[in-house]
Amino acid sequence: MDAVLDKPVNTFIEVTEVWVPDGDRLVLDSGNYGTLKEFATISGQESFAKGEGLPGKAWGEARPVVLKEFDGSYFKRTEAAKAAGLTSAVAVPVFSGDTLKAVLVVLCADDDVRTGAIEVWTEKDDLLMLEDGYYGAAKHFEWVSQHTHFPRGQGLPGGVWAANTPMLMRDLGSGYRFIRSDSAGKAGLTTGLGLPVSVPGDKTYVLTLLSARGTPIARRFELWDARSAKVGSANDAVLADGICTREGPLWNDEKERRVSAWQGLIGKVLGSGMPIVERDAPGIPAGYSMMVGLPIYQGVELAHIVAWYL
Amino acid sequence: MKRLVVIGAGMASGRMLEHLFEADPDAFQVTLFNAEPRGNYNRIMLSPVLSGEKSYEEIVTHDDDWYAGNNVTCRFGERVTGIDRERRVVCGEHGEVAYDKLVIATGSSPFIIPVEGRDLPGVVSYRDLDDTNAMIDATGLPNARAVVIGGGLLGLEAAAGLRLRGMEVTIIHLAGHLMERQLDEAAGYLLQKDIENRGIRVITRASTKAILGKSRVEGVALEDGSVIPADLVVMAVGIRPSAQLAKDTGLEVGRAITVNASMQTSDPDIYAVGECVEFEGTLFGLVAPLYDQAKVLAKELLGEGDAFVVKELSTKLKVTGCDLFSAGDFAEGEGREDIVFRDPARGVYRRLVIERNRLVGAVMYGDTADSNWFFGLIRDGEDIAEMRETLIFGQSYQGGAPLDPTAAVAALPDDAEICGCNGVCKGTIVEAVSTKGLTTLDDVRAHTKASASCGTCTGLVEKLMVLTLGDAFEAAAVPPMCKCTDLGHDEVRRLIKTKELKTIPAVMQELEWKTSCGCAKCRPALNYYLVSDWPEEYADDYQSRFINERVHANIQKDGTYSVVPRMWGGQTTSAELRAIADVVDKFNIPSVKCTGGQRIDMLGVKKEDLPAIWADLGKAGFVSGHAYAKGLRTVKTCVGSDWCRFGTQDSTGLGVRLEKFMWGSWTPAKVKLAVSGCPRNCAEATCKDVGVVCVDSGYEIHYAGAAGLDIKGTEVLGLVKTEDEAVEYISALVQMYREQGHYLERIYKWAKRIGYDEVRRQIMEDAEARKAYFDRFVFSQKFAQVDPWSERVSGKDKHEFKPMASFPESKVEAAE
Repeated sequence: MDAVLDKPVNTFIEVTEVWVPDGDRLVLDSGNYGTLKEFATISGQESFAKGEGLPGKAWGEARPVVLKEFDGSYFKRTEAAKAAGLTSAVAVPVFSGDTLKAVLVVLCADDDVRTGAIEVWTEKDDLLMLEDGYYGAAKHFEWVSQHTHFPRGQGLPGGVWAANTPMLMRDLGSGYRFIRSDSAGKAGLTTGLGLPVSVPGDKTYVLTLLSARGTPIARRFELWDARSAKVGSANDAVLADGICTREGPLWNDEKERRVSAWQGLIGKVLGSGMPIVERDAPGIPAGYSMMVGLPIYQGVELAHIVAWYL
Repeated sequence: MKRLVVIGAGMASGRMLEHLFEADPDAFQVTLFNAEPRGNYNRIMLSPVLSGEKSYEEIVTHDDDWYAGNNVTCRFGERVTGIDRERRVVCGEHGEVAYDKLVIATGSSPFIIPVEGRDLPGVVSYRDLDDTNAMIDATGLPNARAVVIGGGLLGLEAAAGLRLRGMEVTIIHLAGHLMERQLDEAAGYLLQKDIENRGIRVITRASTKAILGKSRVEGVALEDGSVIPADLVVMAVGIRPSAQLAKDTGLEVGRAITVNASMQTSDPDIYAVGECVEFEGTLFGLVAPLYDQAKVLAKELLGEGDAFVVKELSTKLKVTGCDLFSAGDFAEGEGREDIVFRDPARGVYRRLVIERNRLVGAVMYGDTADSNWFFGLIRDGEDIAEMRETLIFGQSYQGGAPLDPTAAVAALPDDAEICGCNGVCKGTIVEAVSTKGLTTLDDVRAHTKASASCGTCTGLVEKLMVLTLGDAFEAAAVPPMCKCTDLGHDEVRRLIKTKELKTIPAVMQELEWKTSCGCAKCRPALNYYLVSDWPEEYADDYQSRFINERVHANIQKDGTYSVVPRMWGGQTTSAELRAIADVVDKFNIPSVKCTGGQRIDMLGVKKEDLPAIWADLGKAGFVSGHAYAKGLRTVKTCVGSDWCRFGTQDSTGLGVRLEKFMWGSWTPAKVKLAVSGCPRNCAEATCKDVGVVCVDSGYEIHYAGAAGLDIKGTEVLGLVKTEDEAVEYISALVQMYREQGHYLERIYKWAKRIGYDEVRRQIMEDAEARKAYFDRFVFSQKFAQVDPWSERVSGKDKHEFKPMASFPESKVEAAE
């Protein structure tokens, strides 16, 4: 069974990178480029001022940004991206209060089979509306999503918004929201990760990553709770939820799983307060080669960490 | 190998089998019956399955491989029809199985409220996977609406799950706040706020009358007459142990199957475990004691000794984003002391209950970081005397020097935000105080805006001023309402309006009350302020009223009551007098007295007779005289121009009109009116709260008189020409007092505090302000003019009138 699960698959996200402030510019901190060596090299030589390029735009406008067409856009690495077959990108700023900690950028390659969804929802008139999203080949699901809105507490986006906490949904096809479930099922979407994106000001953003079995965003997801309201003054995090195609459920309602700052990869996110992208690093669970750890802030407090593995 | 038969494949029996196989896999040949067509799964995780946050596969505890690996003969989906103890066999639907030892683990079944319509399709309980799947199926209907009956753990989890699945959800709950068994009122308030923030409607104090629908459920009717439309009704009002099989077998059954500490029933070869058992009078609904029972039973079956003991339990709710914890006993009681911490900005409430230097209960909402530590202190009965001062802050604060709140403020960095409303940081305040020579809070408010909006940072700003100025700081001399808060009455009233606080728990949480539920001083005051400010929305909290206002009569020194019906303007008729006489005779009322307010007082009435007396008086047309109320009492009149040679106007008519217009209104303290027909003033209008002296040119309005502990003549408000104007001006005046008075502050004290000129300016000179006061009074009266006597004759608050010993409160007020 593991052999089947572990064979290389087409993944929805090709490249993941973390850009961090260095003076008045963003520079590359870490990234997973897979086999796209040339694009990795060019990216390492790049930097972005506030408002410049995709990472700079996410920083300047203090919001997650979806870019589905590089040609003629503000995207700075268009030629290199095209050469690598990359067609779309999403940039997510990580703010601690008013301070930018980093920008996480994911890049995807379009084809007829890769389905999944990376969506940005924003509040308007007390409803969450789709600001933008990248869906790959899941065109019908994209259309349905564009015509869906979520009140507080409803569906993955509405649930994240109301609870102000990341959430992990299973069995998307069996319906977490009537209108989208049917379409999600047809698109093969199975697991949904939703997370609040904290930005300066009073705007509300919710990011959702919907993963399909055939072309997964990840095969293992973890949610860690690091709020002082949960773990006290210790710089710790406890596993709140998790699912893995190899190990099954990661949560345990009887035995708490806890890490401290700098303890393992989650501890690295906790200690540094920064997102990480790791490849073939110690601490990545067996059967996986890549890990993304993203801190979720509530104001200036590092409240949660979400991690996904491939 | 001995034969073990287990009836019920739930969590308790499953854990028992795990222990059994772990200790001695070959001890028993096991046959496992389960009425559900599946084996053991983690039932308490059904809520995340309902919400979509877990899949069923994730919560399966024992799959087919596990049962096969342990040689368990599974008879799932088969009901047990009987137990033949003589032949030692269990009878299933598909045949018998012999046992050497038998374990009954039949669990519990949901309690179904016996109301009409409970059997309609679309009405479900919430107990197992089939119920969960039925609910998930119901969410597939477009715009589906659900009503969840019961705001306990299970009901709330069901509601949150259904909401996440896209339904419009209403929770109806019988008690005054959610999860009342596990949470106090303050934590219940925060929980309700969190639940409502998910778009779920919560109705408390709601009693289900019937479930409506023809071929399937269409709605829920409540006792108050309202109807809530529904496509799905979830009953989550509790569970009942499933003990019928044991009872039919002849085992000893009380409220559940009676077991000893070895989990043995009255038959030595039959054991019981889980929610179906009763041990030393205790029933079980949470999983922790079930697992303890399972461990004990496994040992017992293997011939090892062990004994089950009941331990303290704690509660956690599985609704993502709702952090709550409750353990121990948090009821108020003599010798018990509360420590309360509130942080309104973070929605945090912590309450610890201490008795004889031991922590006996804890309730936490919004911050449960130290819950395990507090639970350990409760369970172990540890002496906390040494930690008393810092206990509330949790484990990491123990062992150091006691916290000095001023030192904590001193340690804040300059850019720490002090006033969230206006974005003012510590450095700005300190600099303004230093460079501009500010010495009072008002100065700081004027120069920096800190503490100028909602005011909840006032304490912090004052501490900063103390730090900066030392004894040069001139603290405001406003006395706090009571020991529960540092805020004065004015500040509380202002914040109730600006923050739109509409319940007592909301006031206490958002204004950082230092106690969990307030005290006898602040609760009645808050109840009045909320009744006054939100007449349409606020549900009067009778428990926050003094005894006289709870029973709508005046308690006397011997524990009996006096009854004073309203006599409009002091007028009566022979029929009314006969009715009173009949009541006096019928109920053997020992004393009848005319009051100073021109009414008749019946004294020496037994509490339990009150509703019957009111019923008889009501038939004669009487309503309550509110002789006990902080509200409008009497309107005394003279006979006026109808009869008197000196009368200038119809003083009786005006008095009756005023009384009929204003009765029922709650005020900060009692309000008595009088109307005199001429300056000879036979109705003594010039020593009343509000008085009218009729003159040839119109009506002279007086107010702020007193003839009780203080004697004071009235102030003249002004002269108006018509009766209509008199009614408008007096109503506006009373409304102004209602909105600005401190609770228990008579009108003459209020007027002196805010200034007679200011009262005259707003009522006599500012027509717009007067009209606004009048309109608000009229609006408020729409909700106030309900006769409390007739309500209670109809059965309201009937528990108050059961015969029992009465304990007069220390302060007993005069009737008039």
